[in-house]
Amino acid sequence: MRIQGLLAVWFLAPALGIMTIFYLIPLGVYLLNGFHLFQSGKIVPIWTLRTFGSFFQDPFSYRVIGTSLSLSTVVTLLDVALGYPIAYALHTRVKSPGIRALIGLLLFSPLLVSVVVRTYGWFILLANQGLINALLKNAGIISQPLPLLFNTWGVIISLAHILLPFSIFPIYSIMTRMDPTLKEAARDLGANWWKAFTQITLPLTMPGVITAILICFTLALSAFVTPQLLGGGRIQVLPLTVYNNTVEINWPTGAVAGFTLLLLSITAIWIINAILRRLPSI
Amino acid sequence: MNTIRRERYLESYEERSEIFRTALLRATLAFGTGFILLPLMIVAIYSFSEVAYGIFPPPGFSTKWYAHLFAQATFRGAFFRSVGIGISATTIALLVGFPTSLALARTRLAAGNFLRAFILSPIVIPKIVLGVGWFIFFARISLIGGWIPLILAHTVIVLPFVVAILTANLSGLDPTIEEAAQDLGAGFVKVLWYVILPQIKSGVIISALLAFIVSFDQVESSIFLVRGENNTLPIEMFLYMEKWQDPTIAALSTLLIGFAAVITCATVAISRGIDLSNLLPTLGGKKSTR
Repeated sequence: MRIQGLLAVWFLAPALGIMTIFYLIPLGVYLLNGFHLFQSGKIVPIWTLRTFGSFFQDPFSYRVIGTSLSLSTVVTLLDVALGYPIAYALHTRVKSPGIRALIGLLLFSPLLVSVVVRTYGWFILLANQGLINALLKNAGIISQPLPLLFNTWGVIISLAHILLPFSIFPIYSIMTRMDPTLKEAARDLGANWWKAFTQITLPLTMPGVITAILICFTLALSAFVTPQLLGGGRIQVLPLTVYNNTVEINWPTGAVAGFTLLLLSITAIWIINAILRRLPSI
Repeated sequence: MNTIRRERYLESYEERSEIFRTALLRATLAFGTGFILLPLMIVAIYSFSEVAYGIFPPPGFSTKWYAHLFAQATFRGAFFRSVGIGISATTIALLVGFPTSLALARTRLAAGNFLRAFILSPIVIPKIVLGVGWFIFFARISLIGGWIPLILAHTVIVLPFVVAILTANLSGLDPTIEEAAQDLGAGFVKVLWYVILPQIKSGVIISALLAFIVSFDQVESSIFLVRGENNTLPIEMFLYMEKWQDPTIAALSTLLIGFAAVITCATVAISRGIDLSNLLPTLGGKKSTR
């Protein structure tokens, strides 16, 4: 059934109305605050670029941006390195469709539970006397507990955990859509497993990997709860800068930090999408 | 003679390495599943811990944290508020999202791709940016406090998930069935109700489930819209965790894990099995057309 002309406009109108009034306008109003000034505890509503200027002259801003980017990069790499073999194992080494569906549901299940709950789980696991340190101690690897909470390690581990399903599913999805005869043909023609994997499976599943990178990176970049609760104030990333400035009623600086975060996200999406478009799709 | 032996050796080498690979991959899968479930399991164990500090294994077990949890009315109020906001936002998103998806899937609008990207964009916009934006916006129009700003904000956040899933479902439908119904005299509404909706039922249910869960999980997008008396549950937990880390949160988390399990099982029961591939459009994959 085709939906054309005026009818299509009527069908789209409610969503576009809601999105314009409660999404576009709030975003615009917020970002415009970056062109105001914050002086002696008050917002001065004049139009100026001075807030942008002072934000980008402050070396602390670059440290925050650097932490945000490197944290997101490490988490993304970890998730792809873990997610790919998990997706591959689920696709190729679990024969029963029922068990495959069950494992898929288990891998997906943490997404059903609040990110605060998952972060709290890591809070317990990473404590000085928590499970991770207890295991390492019993294995004789360490004698003193490793400080895993309130530093970068804790944030990286738990963020990688929270975003792992977002890396597994796009990769798994593309594997299920891959033509299995291609791999068989390669094997029949004498390619060993490694050759068939690196020359057939890996290139054909690359779009899934790139999609996984896109989702993990953008979500890691905008993560707020985990760095706030597990960073203990020592991990400063852009979302926390936005939050802290807003709490201190310094909306202009908060808006400039938010603008930077938005710009980084959009740039990352743009670059990764450009890579994705160059890949052959299946 | 030599070549045969060599071939046999290679074959058995291939076989052995295949067995080794399978073992390694299965171990990775087991490790990955364990890693993903570990924080949830540890939370459930700790909710019965006897002591307030994190130590493994807990020195003893008790149910006092559950008693402590139920003594706090704030969590109960926040839970029902979160459920109410989640149901409202999901309902609005479905009502608005269905016609939107229908139009996006069935029109050849020049601006179609642009409109789709616009409606899906809140998925990738940092939530803290949206949160501050809503704070300033709703403060300007004097609408801070109460449920309305939260419901509107959550609607914007969950609408893209609904539209992504429904558009993928609608695009996969065979148009000849609808044409057949129209040829047999069914009008627009009848085709919608008797032909289109039954075919995308599973997509509607799973998008509703996902929308509710996403709404239920909002922290930084809503933290400036609450005023203490109208805290949602994740925000109440977040603020509690900033101050205390005792197992009261573990007890609450365990109940929430159970709550998530119950609504998921209920959804599976209603739709007689979920087609998980429905989730793929929102996880960056494509819905399989098979």
